[in-house]
Amino acid sequence: MREFLSNLRLLRRMNWLMLATICTLIAVGVLFIYSATQTRDDSTARLFQMQLKWALAGLVIYLATTVTDYRKLRDVSWWFYVMAVILLVAVLFFGTRIYGARRWLMFLGVGVQPSELGKLAVILAGATLLSPPAEKYERIPSMWWLFLLAGIPMLLVMKEPDLGSALVYAPLVMAMLYVAGAPSRPLVLMVLSGVVLVTVVLGAVALPARLGVTPEGQDRFFRAIRLSDYQRDRIEVFLQPGKDPMGTGWNKRQSEIAVGSGGLTGKGFLKGTQNLLGFLPRTVAPTDFIFSVIAEETGFAGSVMVLVLYGLLLACGLYAAMVARDKLGRVLCVGIVTMIFTHVFVNMAMTIGLVPIVGIPLPLVSYGGTFMVMTLFALGLIQSVYVRRSGL
Amino acid sequence: MCIRIDCDMAVKEQVNLELRRLRVVLFMMLGGLLLLGGALFSLQVARRHEFEQSLHRQSMRRVRLPAARGRIFDRNEICLADNQPCYCLAFYLEEIRKPGRWQHTVDEVNERMKKLTALIGRRSMIAEQDIWLHIRKRLPLPLVAWRHLDPAALARLAESSVDMEGLDIYIEPLRHYPRHELAGHLMGYVGRAELSDEDLEGFQYYLSEMEGKAGLERMFNYAMAGTAGGQLVRINASGLKYAESQEKEPQPGADLVLAIDSRIQALAEQAVGDVPGAVVVLDPSNGDVLALASSPSFNPNQFVPFLSSAVWDEQNKDPAKPLVNRAVAEVYAPGSVFKPVTALAALSSGHISPETTHNCPGYFMIGAHPMKCWNPNGHGQVNMRKAIEQSCNVYFAAVGLQCGYEGIEEMARQVGLGKKTGIDLDREASGLVPGPAWKKKMWKDDWRPGDTCNVSIGQGALTVTPLQMAVVAATLANGGTVYRPRLVLGIRDRAGHYTTNYPPVAIRTLAVSPGAMKTVREGMYDVVMAPSGSGGRARIAGVEMAGKTGTAEFGEKGGHHKHSWMLLFAPFERPQYAVAMVVDEGVSGGLTVGPRLHTLMDALFNGDGKKADG
Repeated sequence: MREFLSNLRLLRRMNWLMLATICTLIAVGVLFIYSATQTRDDSTARLFQMQLKWALAGLVIYLATTVTDYRKLRDVSWWFYVMAVILLVAVLFFGTRIYGARRWLMFLGVGVQPSELGKLAVILAGATLLSPPAEKYERIPSMWWLFLLAGIPMLLVMKEPDLGSALVYAPLVMAMLYVAGAPSRPLVLMVLSGVVLVTVVLGAVALPARLGVTPEGQDRFFRAIRLSDYQRDRIEVFLQPGKDPMGTGWNKRQSEIAVGSGGLTGKGFLKGTQNLLGFLPRTVAPTDFIFSVIAEETGFAGSVMVLVLYGLLLACGLYAAMVARDKLGRVLCVGIVTMIFTHVFVNMAMTIGLVPIVGIPLPLVSYGGTFMVMTLFALGLIQSVYVRRSGL
Repeated sequence: MCIRIDCDMAVKEQVNLELRRLRVVLFMMLGGLLLLGGALFSLQVARRHEFEQSLHRQSMRRVRLPAARGRIFDRNEICLADNQPCYCLAFYLEEIRKPGRWQHTVDEVNERMKKLTALIGRRSMIAEQDIWLHIRKRLPLPLVAWRHLDPAALARLAESSVDMEGLDIYIEPLRHYPRHELAGHLMGYVGRAELSDEDLEGFQYYLSEMEGKAGLERMFNYAMAGTAGGQLVRINASGLKYAESQEKEPQPGADLVLAIDSRIQALAEQAVGDVPGAVVVLDPSNGDVLALASSPSFNPNQFVPFLSSAVWDEQNKDPAKPLVNRAVAEVYAPGSVFKPVTALAALSSGHISPETTHNCPGYFMIGAHPMKCWNPNGHGQVNMRKAIEQSCNVYFAAVGLQCGYEGIEEMARQVGLGKKTGIDLDREASGLVPGPAWKKKMWKDDWRPGDTCNVSIGQGALTVTPLQMAVVAATLANGGTVYRPRLVLGIRDRAGHYTTNYPPVAIRTLAVSPGAMKTVREGMYDVVMAPSGSGGRARIAGVEMAGKTGTAEFGEKGGHHKHSWMLLFAPFERPQYAVAMVVDEGVSGGLTVGPRLHTLMDALFNGDGKKADG
């Protein structure tokens, strides 16, 4: 009890700027979820209230996590990992099928996305793995262990299939290894090979038609690398912006029009016509394409504000890593910050057509309960590292 | 101990490495955000117009809104052409739209139409394929299912408990001619406008517009059509209307004010009656067209909203040609009504005086060929005044030869024959004043004395329109001033401000001596007023009138087809009316037209005008 009270006193030392940034982003999210669903008269119209409830629940978890010593993770991170893997396996069998993919598990009427838990599990277990207790400091394990650690959930997520979420594992593993002090040469090699792999896949989609390879040959290749048809479509749309504007290219094109037509100052809150008129598909406007709604209604000014908020959040997170009292804290913060950065970057980049469309939400802003709670839990861990920083 | 320090050193170095790398990670992430910022700048600032255009293209539709058509009034502000609201019942699909496939929505519309049919008492004008066509082509516009709802149906609709959601009364302006057949030929008719690419530039949709196709509707279409406006319709992703805003208000067309007096017009039309013919009443003091009628007429309301092919065929196949405005578009041989012109030419030539006499034995020898006078017994010795009164062919043939053809041709042209009068009506015929040059060209033959004799009595190749003869009558009435017939007094906007005024136009004053004019007028006075005058049947109580009858043979010789004519002006001193009337087939001018003009003039001067007006 005394310990709990002293921990509670730690709250006074937390990074208030970070908390303010988080709350602002959540508020932006709730406001624009409201805007994105304003014309709906079904249950979707209540999404912003749901989001608010999830956010409040998440903030409680955030504070609870802050007061909890992150060093206790060493004991639980493996259990967490095992549980996440079990859920990821379970979702393949018992998951609810939405648009042809099993990504959701229903617990007492609440949907949970195990792939979100998977990411966090890898960060926690990875941080534990990479930062052995001080007395065994010199025994940094081989980086292959971490690849194995991340590989299992990654493959399971790919199996759902959810390629986008699976790809997020790569940068966070890389960043954790890098900051943990892994030799840079193999890391650079790995990043390069990743780039080559992506290029090969993109090339395989775009080039055979031009090089005269038969469609049958192309199909065989895609079956061999397990790329599904819709993934192919998305990549094709990305490579050929004019292709099929009424079909597969619709979301990308409408999102770009929404963002672009927002102009410098936007059309005003609740006045984004792309969303109002349904050009921005209603199903994704409050989730993966929430940034299109924000950018259309608030313009370049608003988009930059959102970018600045995320920049602040990331900087606060990495600052926590710099002042962390031990390696576990550092690696943990880097993993979490990288995960958030990857989501932000990929989501915004897809909104404005820089990368192919992948179903990755915008942290703290997109509608989604599991992701909101998980993100706040992760950010709470960063705060937990920060309040126990060295030099106090 | 030593190892311990080494260990601390190693730890410190490791931590430094980690901190360095953390900074690298931070910069990479900020670099990533900066990259996003740059891309956003490109999209939202540099290329914003491109995307705004795309947005506009996919979500904005412009609808051309027709302007209210200008009205037509007579000189006493009686409305002759107006617009009437036509009540239509339309579906608004954006409110009816059922989720899922369009078939659900089409079924819903069909279902509702079935219920409404019982209420309205008439089947809808659209079928399932029309609904589909509407969905494909005109989705953001209302889908009109019933037109011309009568007040009873409207009342039943209002009282019924029918679900009016997505359903509304929609008003279309329809051209309406409150006086029906009255002045039908002057009005002309409207039809569906054929819009040019230029008209439709920038519009995705248009509503049906009307356009003048004949008569004043056609001649003044430019003024009455007004300026179409535009409506911006914002559509949603399914193509349904989301919102609309007036972009440009349509500018209503201008109103026409005619010189026509509808009371006189009605009397004139009644006077001609059912037989094919035409009558024109001018104000000799300024050329105002007080009435211009052609029989048979048509009801321009039949052409609204569009002409059915049945009506069109009927009108076109009718041998009486109801669509032809005989007063301006048909040419006739004038016969004896031309004789006053010959008389003026003769008296102005210097060779003939009012007292020049000729003997009429009943025929006239042109070389070896005899030309008959209409009176086989002959008129004996006649002077000019008597010759006009008696319409003696022999006398006019003789003076024609005496004064020479050039004078007659010149005088015919001076009074406006052989040339369009320039009235504001379409399809005006110019008629023909023949001459040596014309004959050379047409018949490769020389002008002969017989030709002169023929034209002198209004026969031969000479043709005129009733309107031209009315101008002749007006010129004789006012003592020699030729006016351009003025049909339209002015054009004014909806607020009543005249934008254009058409003042009377005196084309010329005839170069004839007052004496010559007096003689001709007196001859015409006798035609009506003398006991033996051929136009005596036109006489009315209390008003002195002057005129000239005419009967012109046409068609095969001996076929007994005769155009019967009469010119008239009254009162003799200070004339108010100059009239020309022709009946296509009649016995003679005096017998056929005389009584008709009696009816007209009696009503004008003595009758209760209000009765005819009503």
